[in-house]
Amino acid sequence: MNPEDPKLRNLLREARVSPSLPPRFQENVWRRIEDAETAAKEGPGWLNTLVFLVLRPRFACATAVILILAGAVFGAHAGSKVVKQDAEARYIASVAPSTLR
Amino acid sequence: MNRPLFIFVAALILGAGIFAGSYFGARHVCVASAGRSTDDLAWLRDEFHLSPADMTRIRQLHEGYMPQCMQMCARIAAKKHEVEAALGRGTNVTAEARKKLAELGELRAQCQAQMLQHFITVSQAMPAEQGQRYLSEMKRLTLGTHEELEQSMSADHDHGIH
Repeated sequence: MNPEDPKLRNLLREARVSPSLPPRFQENVWRRIEDAETAAKEGPGWLNTLVFLVLRPRFACATAVILILAGAVFGAHAGSKVVKQDAEARYIASVAPSTLR
Repeated sequence: MNRPLFIFVAALILGAGIFAGSYFGARHVCVASAGRSTDDLAWLRDEFHLSPADMTRIRQLHEGYMPQCMQMCARIAAKKHEVEAALGRGTNVTAEARKKLAELGELRAQCQAQMLQHFITVSQAMPAEQGQRYLSEMKRLTLGTHEELEQSMSADHDHGIH
């Protein structure tokens, strides 16, 4: 058997099996390229982690409850301050004429 | 804007909205539930933690002082009219206008002295510590604005000189 034999070479070339591509091969390649680019654009890892944390229902509910409570406490404090200032102004107006102040 | 950043900003805005809604809601409820007190002395009772007995004494003093205060206010208002009439439409401050201004100043000083005397009397009707606090607070609230004005004016003068 002479490997340099042209007939033999032709026969071998024809006998080589070229594997068929899997279905939607090209589409999948492009999708993976796009996914890789999107991941690169989506910013730093800490932001992703934070967003992942924020979107967890338990964390979101706890945060909402804390914000509502904090708002209510600060609001009630501010409201009582307004009430106190009104009462003080009322007393001052009754004893000290505005012409003297 | 990329998606995680958008979600993060939206969450921050939502959180701020929740806090603001709760804050203003509670503030409004607090003010509305307190209502507008019709008692002029309610602040004294709450601020200086006065007992009903203290309040009774102070209410008597307050009611005794009010007619004097109103009378003095009426005299000041009348004197102000006299000053305006004396000033008229002229461009000079006449001797008559000066006299009326001096009388107005004298009346205001009398009114102020009467007011301070009332504050002293009321402070003596309170427990000692609260009385001291009341008196200094009243001086600050009724005389403080004059002092601030005078200080700002003297500061302006100094600034002008230098």
